[in-house]
Amino acid sequence: MTGTTRRGGWSMLLWVAPAVLLLVVFVYYPVVENLRLSLYRWSPFSPREVFVGLDNYATLGADPVFWSSLFNNAAYAVVSVVFQVGGGLVLAAVLEELVRGRLKGLLRTIYFVPAVLSLTITGLLFQFMYNPQIGLVNGLLDVLGLDAWKHSWLGESATAIWAIIAMSQWQSVGYVAVLFIVAMQRIPRELYEAAYIDGASRVQAFLRITLPLVREMTLLAMIITVSGAFLVMNEVWVMTAGGPNNASHTLGTWLYKSAFFNDQMGYAAAIAVVIFIITMTASILQLFLGRGKAVQY
Amino acid sequence: MTAIAGPSRHRRTLACLIAATAIIVGACGDGGATTAPASAEPGATQAASAEPGATTAPELEGSISFLHKYSDPRYAPYFEAVVAAYMAEHPKVQVEIQAESDQGVKDKLRVLAASNTLPDVYFSWAGDFTKKFVRGNLAKDLTGDVTGEWAERFTPAALEAYTYDGKLYGVPITLDAKYMVYNTKLFADNGVAVPTTLEELLATCDTFEAKGIEPIAFGNQFGWPAIHFMTQLNPYYVPAATLQMDYAPETGAFTDAGYGKALDAFAEINSRCLTQGANGISHEAAQANFLAGKAAMHYIEAVEFFALTEKGGAPADLANNWDFFMLPAPADAPGDTGYLTGAPDGFLVNASSEQLDIALDFLNYLTTLDNAKKMVADLGWLSPVQGSATADNTFPQNVQVIEDIATATGMAIWLDTVTHIDVANAYLNGVQAMLDGTKTTADVVADIQAAAATAKAASE
Repeated sequence: MTGTTRRGGWSMLLWVAPAVLLLVVFVYYPVVENLRLSLYRWSPFSPREVFVGLDNYATLGADPVFWSSLFNNAAYAVVSVVFQVGGGLVLAAVLEELVRGRLKGLLRTIYFVPAVLSLTITGLLFQFMYNPQIGLVNGLLDVLGLDAWKHSWLGESATAIWAIIAMSQWQSVGYVAVLFIVAMQRIPRELYEAAYIDGASRVQAFLRITLPLVREMTLLAMIITVSGAFLVMNEVWVMTAGGPNNASHTLGTWLYKSAFFNDQMGYAAAIAVVIFIITMTASILQLFLGRGKAVQY
Repeated sequence: MTAIAGPSRHRRTLACLIAATAIIVGACGDGGATTAPASAEPGATQAASAEPGATTAPELEGSISFLHKYSDPRYAPYFEAVVAAYMAEHPKVQVEIQAESDQGVKDKLRVLAASNTLPDVYFSWAGDFTKKFVRGNLAKDLTGDVTGEWAERFTPAALEAYTYDGKLYGVPITLDAKYMVYNTKLFADNGVAVPTTLEELLATCDTFEAKGIEPIAFGNQFGWPAIHFMTQLNPYYVPAATLQMDYAPETGAFTDAGYGKALDAFAEINSRCLTQGANGISHEAAQANFLAGKAAMHYIEAVEFFALTEKGGAPADLANNWDFFMLPAPADAPGDTGYLTGAPDGFLVNASSEQLDIALDFLNYLTTLDNAKKMVADLGWLSPVQGSATADNTFPQNVQVIEDIATATGMAIWLDTVTHIDVANAYLNGVQAMLDGTKTTADVVADIQAAAATAKAASE
């Protein structure tokens, strides 16, 4: 190794050191420290920590709220993949292929606007929409003669989490659609023109050209939505705080409640470890499945 | 395997990390604010403020931090004004205000307690919430400090709420009680008299329901409004001595049949009086219905009375036509019917404070009769300082509340703060489940008993 190369190496290390240091201090150290603390029982008000080994994880396994929270996160992920990724893809294709001129820009903006609204604001907005007395949803069902379908959407154990998930789809589908629009605009128009000359329909063009060429964006959108579904917290907290009767908790809100309401910091740390493992696994799996399969024509 | 861990450095780290995470994800609450009134003398410290030629009278010097939960723009200016006035009287003292919301203060107190960085003076609810600080040696014993004229200012029940094992740990700032407010015009128009028993209340509800008027506007989105009903119903059905034993984590069992009867009574009130689907309605939305004259009654705290006045924003139709009564007891109530739901809110002093003299002096100033009168006039709240609410500085209903509280046998502190957190959760979740039809009274009682057993085991 020459002196110049060595100097280059040290110089490179110096350039990346600040970023590495920040990552170590604010990402990796907290992860490791959280793992350690999940082995203790402690309350913010107590002067002592008690080592309990894997007891917090055993408690977690026997906690019905943990499992219902996990189910709610999984439901969030599945619905989000279908409606945000699938729906966003279709919406983007429709906007790109079927809509022209100013209307295209207007619709793109309209679909994107909910994504820039604060979750607190949309949460409060949908609280009114779901209000069993004066809400738009029940009002609409009334008008349609579907009285039997009326519910206290956020107030019943069976409907609360689904009502929140529905709001989340409304808010995020436009954002994912815009990601797809960006990917679609990079596809050369000649490919479509050639396909149409050969007699392909719009649906065939979508399936044979658009879909394969936005594969990487699809992968990215899935990672974002699935990871996001397991980290979801604010919308649930604003709309139901995990109620009624803990029915709408997600892992994030259950962690928060365990730590800051129930004073079970060690248990909350154990939940955080589970969230970390799930999101890390989902991301690695998706990256692995999508590796080396980029399509080019 | 169990072992006691060493220093609390790691706990502090995690508490800070959790706090940072909560901030990053924008967890609930309207966030805190740290302010010092403009009149403060910046940077005044014990050392820096020592001036030659000071007067012979001992002059306070230094700075303290003061955490309250009244960051709402309607309330914060009062505290800022009092702090500014205090600093004007004590030019060498700086009081740093940390203002939080009702929810935000719960998070902040836990983070600060875990990292042993509690402010010199900090807010705390009475009941088990304060006991947590006491058990953790985080609250100063004020028994020897709040004495003489200072102690005599307060309604005794307010000091009692912050007294544990004969020692005083808190200074009350507000006084609160729960009442059923009613629209006097709707009552008169429909020929309905104020109910004096629970049975009469139910019949009153039937009358309004038959006439298409919502009997009691009720929103239970976050669970606590229903718990306030239970706080009042439990003393009606369970003897006071039993309640006292059960509310203490060390002795709680909740085996008295009265607990089930109280839940049954609430179920009956719900089916005949309360807004249906209430778990999906916020307390504020329900209150809007009452304010609009669409509901005959509404169960609220005295600190909310101000919202029913014209100054508080209520329509004149309602503001001039409302009154209140205590949630009536059943005719054959086996418990004490004189208990009234409510409690004072107050402040504790950090046991590790290095400025105890200033902290105590400031608390003393905050609760002078003049400041209490100002609070009653500015905010419409009730103060535990005797003589602070008069016809001159507040509306008639507030004066009546003071008189009514004086006749109560005792105060039933909010069930979700007086009991151990496990028991409180069992009540909060169980009653919500009863309202949405997924649990019966028997299920909820079983859950409460299981929670009490867990709390008892944890406290041993």
